[in-house]
Amino acid sequence: METDGVLIERSARGRPDAFVEVVRRHEVAVHAFLARRAGRQAADDLLGEVWVRAFGGRAGFDTGHDDARPWLYGIARNVLRAHWRAARPAGQAAIAEAVDPWDDVIDRLDSAAAARTRELACAVQKLPPEEREVLLLVAWEQLTPAQAALVLGIPPGTARSRLHRARAALRPVLAREGT
Amino acid sequence: MTELERLGRVDPPAPGVLDAAREVLWSAVAAEMLATAPPDAAHQTGEPAARRNDEETARQPRREDPGAK
Repeated sequence: METDGVLIERSARGRPDAFVEVVRRHEVAVHAFLARRAGRQAADDLLGEVWVRAFGGRAGFDTGHDDARPWLYGIARNVLRAHWRAARPAGQAAIAEAVDPWDDVIDRLDSAAAARTRELACAVQKLPPEEREVLLLVAWEQLTPAQAALVLGIPPGTARSRLHRARAALRPVLAREGT
Repeated sequence: MTELERLGRVDPPAPGVLDAAREVLWSAVAAEMLATAPPDAAHQTGEPAARRNDEETARQPRREDPGAK
C-alpha cells in the first residue's frame, strides 16, 4: 500500500484526485478528533473545512512522513480554534484554552457516568492545557509522543516531558481506580 | 490509560457525514483539475475558445448538403 506521503506528493504533482485516498484513510479518525473536542454536530460541520484546508496546504506536507494523521490533526486543531474564536465573544477564552475546552468534554459526559470516570475527568481538567493536549493526543488519537509533537509544533523532547508530567499527575487517580 | 481512552470514546459519524465532507473536498479537487488542465490551442493564444471556434467555422467553405441534389 502506498504511504500517505506518496499519495500527497502525487496529488501535488498533477494528480490532485490522489488526495481523496488520503482522506478516505483518515476521515473516521479526524471526525473523532473533532467530535471528542467539540461535539458531534461541530465535527459534522467542520470536517469538510479540514479537508479543504489540508488540500490547499498539501504542498507544505513533509512527504517523508508515511502517516498524515499528525499533519491532519494539526489542521483540524486550527479549524477548531477558528470555530471557537467565532463562536465565543472576544476575550472570553484564551487561545490556549480554545484548543482544548475540557469543560465541554465534562459537560458531554453522561450524567450517569461512573464516579471514578468523573474523578478522572476532573483530574485531567486540572492539568495544564499544554500537558493535557499531549496526553490526549497519545491516549485518544493513539499517536506516539513524537507524532503529538508534530501536531503541536513542539520538539519531541518537550512532548515527552509534558506527557511524563501529565501521567505522573494522574497516577494517584489511576492507581485508585486500579487501571 | 484504559479509563482515559474510554473518556474519549465517541460514536462513529452518521451515514452521509463522511460523504458530504468528501463532496466539499471534491469541489476543490475539481476546481484545481480544471485550472491545470492541458491548455488547448485557443488557450495558448489567450483567445476565448468559443469565439475562436465560431470564427473558424465561419472561415471554412460551406459544403453542400449531399441530400439537396
